[in-house]
Amino acid sequence: MEQIIAKDLYFTYDKQTPALKGVNFTVQKGEYVAIIGHNGSGKSTLARLLNGLLTPTLGTITVDGIVVGDKKTLFEVRKRVGVVFQNPDNQMVASIVEDEVAFGPENLGVPRKEIKERIDFALSAVGMQDFKRATPSRLSGGQKQRIAIAGVLALKPDVLVLDEATAMLDPQGRKEVLSTVQKLNKEQGVTVVAITHYMEEVTKADRVIVLSDGEMVFTGTPKEIFLKQKELKNLGLEVPLAVYIAQKLKEQGVEIDGDVLTQSDLAEALCKL
Amino acid sequence: MKDVTFGQYYPANSIVHSMNPAVKILLTIAYIVAVFMVKQFYFLGFAACLLAVILITILAKIPFLKVLKSVKAVIFFVLLSAILQLLFNKNGTPLWKGGFITDVGLLTAGFITARIVLMVLGATLLTLTTSPVDLADGIETLLFPLKLIKFPVHEFALIMSIALRFIPTLIDETDRIIKAQKARGADFDSGNIFKRAKALIPVLIPLLISSFRRADELADAMDARCYAGSKKRTKYKKTPFTVSDFFGLVFMAGLIVGVVFLNGFII
Amino acid sequence: MQIVSKDLVYTYSEKAKALAFRALDGVTLTIPEGEFFGIIGQTGSGKSTFVQHLNGLIPTKEGNGQLLVGEFDLTDKNTNLKELRKKVGMVFQYPEYQLFAETVFEDVAFGLKNFYPDLPQVDVEDRVKQAITTVGLDYDKIKEKSPFELSGGQKRRVAIAGVIVSRPEVLVLDEPVAGLDPVGKREFARLLKTLHATFVKTVVIVSHDMDFVAEYCSSVAVFSKGKVVKVGTPKQVFEDRVGMREMGLDIPVTEYLKDALKEKGVILDCDLSVESFTKAVAEKFAKNKGETDL
Repeated sequence: MEQIIAKDLYFTYDKQTPALKGVNFTVQKGEYVAIIGHNGSGKSTLARLLNGLLTPTLGTITVDGIVVGDKKTLFEVRKRVGVVFQNPDNQMVASIVEDEVAFGPENLGVPRKEIKERIDFALSAVGMQDFKRATPSRLSGGQKQRIAIAGVLALKPDVLVLDEATAMLDPQGRKEVLSTVQKLNKEQGVTVVAITHYMEEVTKADRVIVLSDGEMVFTGTPKEIFLKQKELKNLGLEVPLAVYIAQKLKEQGVEIDGDVLTQSDLAEALCKL
Repeated sequence: MKDVTFGQYYPANSIVHSMNPAVKILLTIAYIVAVFMVKQFYFLGFAACLLAVILITILAKIPFLKVLKSVKAVIFFVLLSAILQLLFNKNGTPLWKGGFITDVGLLTAGFITARIVLMVLGATLLTLTTSPVDLADGIETLLFPLKLIKFPVHEFALIMSIALRFIPTLIDETDRIIKAQKARGADFDSGNIFKRAKALIPVLIPLLISSFRRADELADAMDARCYAGSKKRTKYKKTPFTVSDFFGLVFMAGLIVGVVFLNGFII
Repeated sequence: MQIVSKDLVYTYSEKAKALAFRALDGVTLTIPEGEFFGIIGQTGSGKSTFVQHLNGLIPTKEGNGQLLVGEFDLTDKNTNLKELRKKVGMVFQYPEYQLFAETVFEDVAFGLKNFYPDLPQVDVEDRVKQAITTVGLDYDKIKEKSPFELSGGQKRRVAIAGVIVSRPEVLVLDEPVAGLDPVGKREFARLLKTLHATFVKTVVIVSHDMDFVAEYCSSVAVFSKGKVVKVGTPKQVFEDRVGMREMGLDIPVTEYLKDALKEKGVILDCDLSVESFTKAVAEKFAKNKGETDL
């Protein structure tokens, strides 16, 4: 089922240089879509359009058939599409974890008893149930981002948008957040739209959308995208190191079998030689 | 600043800590009223207040030194008012022949000192046993009646809570920027006051700019989580009125009665 | 300038016992002049705290060990920190957040003017121009702009120009590639190499990016719980697979692949770079092919 439909999205901040010029795409329910592009390609603008933080200059987006950007349905959309932002420190309002997670449901006027249930659900979904009374400023970056995800989950969204949510984390934190998101996608069926520039994260997606200068240049599975190494390079993007090594080896006459996306794929292929 | 305990939370598991912050704020106000009710030179009333402070400190499981340290923050003020009394209070008789210090002057100096110190000790007990977050929460509860005159209590409380939330973040950031500029040879410790103030510009401007950026991002994050002001908003956090709050009320009522009673005795 | 640290100890919030945290617990480490020195370790292992000692941003107290940076003894209270900082430049994580001046020129010149207050304006201009050009920006186009109207990448370059403008002998960088995309990372590595080939004699770089460390560093120190647990060439350090795993650190992709092949009984003779790895694999399997063809 198509959950998000974007048609001819056009967006401009200052009426001169459009950030998005006619982007079309759909996202299926339960899909994990990665959006990549160099800095200034329009990918963060897209994240902000998805839950009505920005309104398209031209074109439409619908989520579950509801038009995004209409004032009357704004909260219907934001309930369905949760966004986790880049800087974990700048998206928290409360000094205690459970109050932080409660913020969204409180805004919706959810009764207190249900908020309590939602906090428990959201915190265990991100594996932070033991930190209910903790102070976010004392947590690691990865833990903070998981709290931010929990804060969004407490709204019971169908779609989770990650706007470079791992960019400021160390490798450990990135792994934590990534596996949390994957789990939510697989087990809870949450649709994920992940904007990132870490190519290793792209390998986990079902589908990739490549943006450049406000236009969608490719879309396909990670495997299909990474075949276009040259084109990506021209766009200021790179393939994951494992894919790069695999391609280098092929060029030098080593027969690498199968599709290499990750380092473990490549290790497997090498062992078959 | 680091050694001054005034306004610093001391976490512990005690009945004083677990009291309702709104009740604690009211009781602190009541305590300060009690201190002010002590009639001039009836020092026994102060003794009762000191006893109350000692009892609460024990109940709160806070080291006495921690509480006493708070006086450091006001020591200058205390000394100044005591010295002024000693030097310029001309009531009563001089302590020695031709001396400029009178007995009333000395008593007044002692009285004022005791009053300020006891007040500070009481207020410190509140901040030592109540986290800033709970404090903000207590203030919100107490401000609730102002809703009747359309005072935006909820918005005010949210501003307080966000300010508290960002204090550690901004302290870290300030530290980092100061270090970065020091590494570029900036000197914050020498020169006259104008030079020093000017030296702070390379710290204040980045701090200001990053605060605006943070505020922007926070606003987006709040919007994204359906924030729309106080309309139809529910409140998750609830601080109930418990037995310890009841005992607190009884305790403070006892203190006030005691002070009134002791106001009848002069030493 | 050689850096020698012996039993260096540092505790945060030493006075508030409940919050006290021992970040450095006896760091003994020598960084010889000329190295491109990597420091790795998990968040909280003490690496940032250590590098901030190197130009006196965190004071070294008596009884907390020894720290010598060239001729500067940092345990000595009378050490001239300004002279030290002239020679030891420091680039923090997200350096773009330290920009403050009205123009790019003024911002880059800030450190230079602090360190050399008597430098004639002509020379200041000359040095600023050189610094801005070195970081890959167009001096004439950018010098009069406000640093705040630049793009993120440009801001970071300007900030780095503001550090290298005073031509430090030692350049310390704390997570400089954080938040950069792969292309940005590669450009940054190239810049560091250029600097290392000119006036910067020693580079000390804190990084979480093992592939970056493997590719560019001449030596690596591993920090764990406030101590240095291993020092050596990247090859030697990454060889200790168990230790790396225990410390929660990744190994470079090439090392991971070598392990996989080793399990199958194929031993490769190559260093950590991608180039050397692919070459070794190609040789090995070209040979195998040759044999089967016979």
